[in-house]
Amino acid sequence: MSMSELAPTRGRLFGKNVLEATFRAAPDEDLFLGELLVGIDGATGRRYLFRVVDVTYGTEHREPGWAERVAGTLLADDTRDDAGAHRLYESDQRTYRVASCRCLGYLTPPDEAGGQLFRKPKSLPTQFSRVVSPEPADFDFLRSRMGDLPVGWLRSGETVVDFEVGIPGETLASHVGIFATTGMGKSNLMMVLAGGAMRANGRYGLLLVDPHGEYRKSLPRHPWAADRLRTYAARSLPNTSALRLSLGELAVDDLRTAYDWSRPQEEALFELERFYSGPSRPGLSWLADFARLDDLPGFRDVELASRIALNTLQVVHRRARRIVELPCIATDAHVSVGGAVLADLESGRVVLVDVSGLGSTEELLVASFLTRTILDRWSAAYLDDPELHERLPVISIVLEEAQRVLSSAADRDANVFPRLAREGRKFKVGLTAITQQPKLLDDELLSQFNTFFVLGLADEKDRNILRSSAKQDLSALGPEIQTLMPGECLVASLAAPFAIPARIHLYDDLCRATPPAPQPRPTDAPATAAIFD
Amino acid sequence: MAETATLDAVAAQVAALLGGSDVTLRDPTGSDLVFDGDAIPRPLPSADPPVDCWAVDGGQALLADARCLQVVVARAATVRFRHARTEIEDPGTITAHLLGIDPGIDLNLLRDRAEWDAVALAVDAAEPGALVLVDGDLVPDWRAPASLVPDLIATAQARQVTLVAVTKHSSLARGRAPLVGVLERAAEATLGPRTTWWAPIANLGDGKIEVVVARLDPDARFAFRIDLAGHQAHDPAAVLGQLAAVSDDAAFPGYPYPLSVADRVAACPGWLRHELRTQLDELLRAAGVDEDARERAFADRHRFLERGGAMA
Repeated sequence: MSMSELAPTRGRLFGKNVLEATFRAAPDEDLFLGELLVGIDGATGRRYLFRVVDVTYGTEHREPGWAERVAGTLLADDTRDDAGAHRLYESDQRTYRVASCRCLGYLTPPDEAGGQLFRKPKSLPTQFSRVVSPEPADFDFLRSRMGDLPVGWLRSGETVVDFEVGIPGETLASHVGIFATTGMGKSNLMMVLAGGAMRANGRYGLLLVDPHGEYRKSLPRHPWAADRLRTYAARSLPNTSALRLSLGELAVDDLRTAYDWSRPQEEALFELERFYSGPSRPGLSWLADFARLDDLPGFRDVELASRIALNTLQVVHRRARRIVELPCIATDAHVSVGGAVLADLESGRVVLVDVSGLGSTEELLVASFLTRTILDRWSAAYLDDPELHERLPVISIVLEEAQRVLSSAADRDANVFPRLAREGRKFKVGLTAITQQPKLLDDELLSQFNTFFVLGLADEKDRNILRSSAKQDLSALGPEIQTLMPGECLVASLAAPFAIPARIHLYDDLCRATPPAPQPRPTDAPATAAIFD
Repeated sequence: MAETATLDAVAAQVAALLGGSDVTLRDPTGSDLVFDGDAIPRPLPSADPPVDCWAVDGGQALLADARCLQVVVARAATVRFRHARTEIEDPGTITAHLLGIDPGIDLNLLRDRAEWDAVALAVDAAEPGALVLVDGDLVPDWRAPASLVPDLIATAQARQVTLVAVTKHSSLARGRAPLVGVLERAAEATLGPRTTWWAPIANLGDGKIEVVVARLDPDARFAFRIDLAGHQAHDPAAVLGQLAAVSDDAAFPGYPYPLSVADRVAACPGWLRHELRTQLDELLRAAGVDEDARERAFADRHRFLERGGAMA
């Protein structure tokens, strides 16, 4: 007798179509939204995989209002403090539950070697087939698709299944979205992904721009962090390298990405760039000179021939002063961490850039600069040195509150992030966009994201936009997304045949369970070296 | 006739009957009830459920209707209820009948017959001390053999079984007002709104059958006429107490749960009627009745005309 035959029956299939199924279960059968179940088709030997998307009450009684009447009687007993005065005889035979499911696909009967194939649903399982809980072997087909960046355990309803879920690291290049409201576990998920990248032996590089300084203390706890993590900080913090960006490396487009500029203000920027630029003033070096100006009206009248309104010039001047005075900005073109960050990423490290203490716009200025630098480097290698590009790791640039730069209102021409979303994949550079409000993201840009981590989202508009953009069908999963608990998520990616429900590892547990990084290989002892010599 | 041909006039008549001062108990159906009870509601003592309880109810369906000819089916379901569980659910054998040939036979008689047969079997199978519940009263169709119920009562008596028949909608009257409704109002006034009670009304069959009205649950929407015969018939309070103990289902407070199960089991639901009609059609076709003849014989002309009217 096989395990399936011994498995307790959870229900019997009775209705719906190829893509959907409804089954009847006992009134006390504890069924959960998102639970994965198996319909055993005795006639074909197929095992149909179902996901519960809704559970409702059923009754043998067909009279209208029967259930309401029973509830009314029992409620009246409660109101009189007389609970138990009435009972529902044989409720197990008179009532039941009906589970509505999405059919995820089916497993073919084992071949001679015991192998099974997973196929998308294209046929109807035999009516009244038995529905049981899945066995570990039912998920074997997923094993090869879960990739080398583990994120958590497979989840079936509220049950955690002993099967690790993850994503292939290569898919970082085709962009990742992490969507959740506050407190649902975005930061933990990000740290788990970073931990996976650290353990990937240089195959993947991650640039994490951290506006709140929340990763600075936790990421170094990872056993592999000593070698695989580099931290830069915009202010003086222990165990970090100073984040210093040269004005000469910044571009007007970085300014346009970080700040909201009116049309006249943008024209003022271009006018100033024209006035100041030259071989001796690369990038935004001129910003230092401009910021030092005392007589702004005179400069305007004499040098710019009054082509810019004074109040417009004053706004640009104020911003220039603020940027130049930032502790992380250097006027010396030779002082910059751009090269060091590139080197870290080229060796497949996790680079944490702690910009806590900076304002939101300055944070974007830093992110824009680093992103542009990385994209330029990887695209240049792709175009000019394919062998080098082949050796470069896949990079993901992680950006919090991504709606700031990926909204439909974002300046597409100047903004490096939409360009990254559209073109980055072929250069092996992807974006990991974290946001609480996916509805604010541009539809077209969102469609470039091939991997979604959907954690709890309360807003229906947010859920709707994800349903229409995800690479797997999430249309029936609204209630499940709505009821996700902290740490629970759905992973929709091209690698998996359906949205995988998962419980994310707790980063602290992951650190405890991760073995230490391997020691560098020791140099041969002299005697041995002699033999080899 | 002209005076009572308006709704106003009829309403005035009904009002006079409902509020009339006549307190004579009567059964307008002309049964042989002897009204010897005081018809005064009194509290119903509680009791344990019966050691064994059976329930019988009949079901019927009209399969084909040519008005001059009708094909009907009937069955009587039997349920055994013990230890708060239904142990036996026997839907009974479906019997088919052709009506319209013998004017003395109708569907009620056929169903009645099936029910009494099932009751007899239940009495035979019941444990001593059991209640055998019947839907309706203990007055069989007038065309049934006169000895049918007396013999059944004698058997029940010998086997220490009590027959209990529950009539959901009784024709008993006080004066011209419905008796059960009058007693419900009286009981609420004298005993309070949430009480169980019973009232002796009549006897029948030389005193072998006690007829009472009882409310079996504090939350019962209605009281019922209940006929008692056999072992404990002459201790109505004891029997009704046991009956009340199985009338506490939250779906129908005050109606014996085993009878509601028998009612469900006996019913001929839509799918069964459809299946039987298909079978009948097949058999007629096999017997050489072509489709046109079948259609013209049994078409529902009412429905056809109504549909045509709606379309017009």
